Amino acid sequence: MNTIIIFIATFLGCVGFSIMFNLRGKINLLASFGGVIGYAVFLLFSFTQNDIMQYFLATIAIEIYAEILARVFKQPVTIFLIVALLPLVPGGGIYYTMEYCINGNIGMFIEEGLHTFFIAGSLVGGIIVVSSVVRLIDRVKHHIHTTVKV
Amino acid sequence: MTNDQLLEISTEIGLSLLENGAEIYRVEESISRILSAYGVVNADVFAVPTCIITTIVLKDGQTHTRMKRIMNRSTNLDIVSAMNNLSRELCKLKPEYDEAKKLVNQAKNRKRFSLPIQILGCVFIGSFFTIFFGGNFYDALVSLLCCVVLKFLLVVMDKFKTNMFFSYTVGSMAIAAIAFLFHYLGFSQNMDKVIIGSLMNLVPGVALTNSMRDIIAGDLVAGLTKFVEAIMIAVAIAVGTGVCVYLLKMFV
Repeated sequence: MNTIIIFIATFLGCVGFSIMFNLRGKINLLASFGGVIGYAVFLLFSFTQNDIMQYFLATIAIEIYAEILARVFKQPVTIFLIVALLPLVPGGGIYYTMEYCINGNIGMFIEEGLHTFFIAGSLVGGIIVVSSVVRLIDRVKHHIHTTVKV
Repeated sequence: MTNDQLLEISTEIGLSLLENGAEIYRVEESISRILSAYGVVNADVFAVPTCIITTIVLKDGQTHTRMKRIMNRSTNLDIVSAMNNLSRELCKLKPEYDEAKKLVNQAKNRKRFSLPIQILGCVFIGSFFTIFFGGNFYDALVSLLCCVVLKFLLVVMDKFKTNMFFSYTVGSMAIAAIAFLFHYLGFSQNMDKVIIGSLMNLVPGVALTNSMRDIIAGDLVAGLTKFVEAIMIAVAIAVGTGVCVYLLKMFV
């Protein structure tokens, strides 16, 4: 039950982001659904006991979702990607890092700060992996296309 | 279409894409595709987040250049999508200048959501992410109030063209103050969840995502610029909430 509420909250929160970025209608809902997929994958891999890994895999799932939708609906990839990735951005990490800092707890400050940085890094890593692979596939397809023609 | 008109149309489309949060490679590619669709063989485009330079070389060796400076950027993905479709359409149909100009203006002036709906979006983000991060119903209500105040502040400061980082600092201060007040009054239990949820409005997700996509595409200058922007936003948020919470804790 609790999980369902959180999924609904993720979806509606993403709808809020879509409104903020002026997305309308079908595209708005589809982009928001990407956030739910990301969080579902995040939960699915909770057995790894390693949230950096979870963030990485969730980003990969979102990126694949965005690339597919962009091709189906002939829209730029960023539209789906930005909205769906936002629930994973470590807002909590930034806040707790700051809190440890002002409380003078330097050990925890460094630990939490590095953790936040690694989460951001794993998002970046996920984006890099998938979009590089997609670019590669596009190039190969283009290459085959041109050589066959000639 | 004359060459100058062609330059104007293509650069205008690129400008609009860049202003509304498209990646650099999309801007450069759109401009050079339109130019080559209209038969310009030799064209160079250079775009960074603050400027676009387009140069075409004609068959007789003459060169034409147009440069556009970008003063304010925001994220409006609706216009990005419209401009992307428009540039495909121009490549396919190759309309004359007047027709193309009309289409560009149409795409540029697409309707935005009205202010009440924007506030609603802002409230959705704050309240539902408060629940997402583990807050309860009362926390979500406090977050709702935080978001309305935040949006109001952002709109007012945007009107007076305040520096983005400063307005983010002030916004996060307001959030922290309201969350602290209601926590102090005993209305909400989790002050941290309220603040984190409301801060999702300001978190640098767009800058981070776009900077990475730019770096992958090979636009290192643009990617680094946006990456620094993301770090600056994170620092601005942390400073705003940090200072506010620290001061309030000292006095209360």
